[in-house]
Amino acid sequence: MKMSLKTLFSAACLGLCAGALAPEAALAHGEKALEPFVRMRTIQWYDVAWSKAKLNVNEEVVITGKFHVNADWPRGVAQPDATYLNVSAPGPVFIRTERYLNGQSSVSSSALKLGGDYEFKIVMKARIPGRFHLHPFVNLHDAGSVVGPGQWMEVEGDASAFTNQIKTLDGSVIDMETYGLANGVAWHGFWIALGSAWLLWWVRRPLFIPRYKMLHAGQDASLISPLDRKIGAAIIFAVPMIVFGANFVTDLKYPNAIPLQAAMDQIDTLPPAVDVGAVQVKIQRAEYNVPARAMIMTALLHNGSDHPVRVGEFATANVRFLNPAVVQPPQDEGAALAAREGLSIDTADPIAPGETRTIRITAEDSLWQRERLDGLIRDADTRMGGLLFLYDNAGQRYVSSVSAPVIPKF
Amino acid sequence: MTGKSLDIPARPYTGEKARLSRAYDYLILVLALFLFIGSFHLHVALTVGDWDFWQDWKDRQWWPLITPLMMITFPAAVQAVLWPNFRLPLGATLCISCLLIGTWITRFFAYHMWNFFPINEVLPATMLPSALVLDAILMLSNSLTVTSIFGGMVFALLFYPTNWPIFGMFHVPVEYGGAQLTVADLFGFQYIRAGTPEYLRIIERGTLRTYGQYATPLSAFCSALLCTLMYPLWWYLGKAFATTKYVKNI
Amino acid sequence: MSTTAQTISQSTPRAPFNLPWYLRDLPKYLLTFAVMTVIYVGFRMYQGAYAISTGLDSSDPAFDIHWMRLLYLEGAFLLIVFPMLWGYLWFTRDRNLDKITPKEEITRYFTLTMWISIYTFAVYWAGSYFAEQDNSWHQVSVRDTPFTANHIIEFYFNFPFYILMGGSAWLYARTRLPLYANGISLPLTLAVVGPFMIFVSVGFNEWGHTFWFREEFFAAPIHWGFVTGVWFALGVGGILLQQVMRLVQLLDQIEDAA
Repeated sequence: MKMSLKTLFSAACLGLCAGALAPEAALAHGEKALEPFVRMRTIQWYDVAWSKAKLNVNEEVVITGKFHVNADWPRGVAQPDATYLNVSAPGPVFIRTERYLNGQSSVSSSALKLGGDYEFKIVMKARIPGRFHLHPFVNLHDAGSVVGPGQWMEVEGDASAFTNQIKTLDGSVIDMETYGLANGVAWHGFWIALGSAWLLWWVRRPLFIPRYKMLHAGQDASLISPLDRKIGAAIIFAVPMIVFGANFVTDLKYPNAIPLQAAMDQIDTLPPAVDVGAVQVKIQRAEYNVPARAMIMTALLHNGSDHPVRVGEFATANVRFLNPAVVQPPQDEGAALAAREGLSIDTADPIAPGETRTIRITAEDSLWQRERLDGLIRDADTRMGGLLFLYDNAGQRYVSSVSAPVIPKF
Repeated sequence: MTGKSLDIPARPYTGEKARLSRAYDYLILVLALFLFIGSFHLHVALTVGDWDFWQDWKDRQWWPLITPLMMITFPAAVQAVLWPNFRLPLGATLCISCLLIGTWITRFFAYHMWNFFPINEVLPATMLPSALVLDAILMLSNSLTVTSIFGGMVFALLFYPTNWPIFGMFHVPVEYGGAQLTVADLFGFQYIRAGTPEYLRIIERGTLRTYGQYATPLSAFCSALLCTLMYPLWWYLGKAFATTKYVKNI
Repeated sequence: MSTTAQTISQSTPRAPFNLPWYLRDLPKYLLTFAVMTVIYVGFRMYQGAYAISTGLDSSDPAFDIHWMRLLYLEGAFLLIVFPMLWGYLWFTRDRNLDKITPKEEITRYFTLTMWISIYTFAVYWAGSYFAEQDNSWHQVSVRDTPFTANHIIEFYFNFPFYILMGGSAWLYARTRLPLYANGISLPLTLAVVGPFMIFVSVGFNEWGHTFWFREEFFAAPIHWGFVTGVWFALGVGGILLQQVMRLVQLLDQIEDAA
């Protein structure tokens, strides 16, 4: 009966495989599962761009972008004392050849400063052919992955053509793909052969029932032969000799070997790019209208610049709500997460130079729901955050990081 | 090696009973193979796995300290059954061999074939030399005390020099991104992995400097001490689990 | 492997394919190995085919189709097979164990060993391959659900399945072997119940990952529930000793043959 059920299950599995729809494009990388308040109020991404979307194996793509580290950091998230700017990909289908934070080359982890502004550049080299969705993201220690905007990459060519040659400080050139593999396999093979020989030496003879019976009959002396003892003694003598001999030779061969490097990179913050300049914004109240899928923010704006300014965009958790009267996003970047007519202001008049005005900003789109940001109102921390982009008529952009408690309207 | 010296010791059974007991041996060996691959591998993966998975975790301070300590466990427990009851000095070698079978299968089919990591980034360490010596010491001494002290020590002390010929070459320095890295560190930087960022590594971060930068021997001897204690602990744990009691209620 | 009824208790065991009488259940044992291998390798191939294309984001509709549907199918299978197999073993129990012949008892010890061997084969896939593969997969996916493409196989099929096999071995011994029927074998119980607790530890693991540990650090304390559970597999040493002691007695009771 058991067998027939298993067979049935196998058939069901096969049926499932056969009946499943053809795999569709995975547009996301699991970021929607992270609580909205973490996505909205920790790493605030913007201006993320990709140098290309199609490339061959061994070619490079450059990801550039910026992020602001929100000063209104969630209480439930560990401070960003240890973070790692990473790339989300289906395994190392690309390798990361270069990474820069604020213009500094960075190969290790780093601390981020609350309220700090960062520019990044990551160079990736294609390794495996296929169509992959990549995101920059920041690993926050104990807090999770705050994922940035994604992009499809199409890689063509032959995986076996991939090379990753590195010059070591002793002058030799190595291929990271195969370096040390043959040596490692050979050593494992050698020890496995010795271990197997020892096991076979014993299991070739009658084992459990006879040996137990003989042991309890007082015949245990005959269970270990003089030859067994000699082999045991040889092991005790020869194995450490081989081990320490090989160790000695390795030391001679690699005299410049160093320990793993554990330092953290020290990244200087840039001159502030967010919440600076002549335009200041303070959110006085934020309401989330559940049926309308709209965040309505009452904001006090002060324009201290010489030009009138208008609110052009509200960006949060990779979703961009755009005021069509002011700005449109580039066509090739995160278009799927842009609500092109998602932002409206209660008055069409720009904020005049020197004026302080209270305005109502409405960010409305189904993306609140599709990106699972509407779950914010049911979280333990219901403060929202995001970046507000304002523009003057000369093309100057002002970026303001805003946050406020959210009141739901059911 | 004469024919006489290769003679297998006297057998209590002949004929059908001998064949029956041999068939039982084979059944138990198959059972044990999968048992120890499954159980010991899980124990190791979830206690010292990260050091074993990745090149850039194999440091001088924690890797040689924790790995022998966690890997002497099952060998001691299995020896506690196979030696006193069957005079089979193969418990340690059996466990470590099973571990390596499981490890290699996973490194190849999961990390490499499925998730594209190069095999050399996920090369496992080996404790087979340590296990062979541990088995041999138990056989020759027939003593828990001697095996605990000398076997436990040797088990730990052999670990780093056994693996240095495999992993030493990954500690060659390279200049990369304006910093000095080892080739092992470079794997961690280049071959992207989402779940194990650099900061998660528990590796030597410095200050084992009192004795002139000899971090590895210090860690190895500390591990040796702990292994001399861990060995009898797990010996008795193995004996306790291998109870032959039948009870009325559970 | 489970063909045992009271009618054969007093008879001389016979084996198919000219096998020795004590290897009566060897063909079923080998067939079970083969079927299990097909299932586990099939799972791995399924992961290879669909995990990267549909298993990276739990909010993707394709994830529901390819992965959550698989989870439900596994659940349905287990809901059916657990009561059927355990019920079968219980209801076909031998009610005349006091009349069992030494040869029959020996044969059943062999069959019990095969049951435990099948159990350890299931433990291999759960404790070794798919367990470590979890670490590999969580380098690829951002862990956004307790039901990742590997967890659905590992936690919700592999774990229940070895529990099924371990429990079956326990039930087989309890219902078909005199010593195990007269008293509850402590090592057999430890070897089955301890690893069962690994399954329970999934709750601790997911709680920890959800609330305070988002990365994939395998040696983290949130995984140590699995570790302590698997130590109980060492109870198999006690089962071996119980069996060997009894088999020595039984072999003394039968005539030898050439």
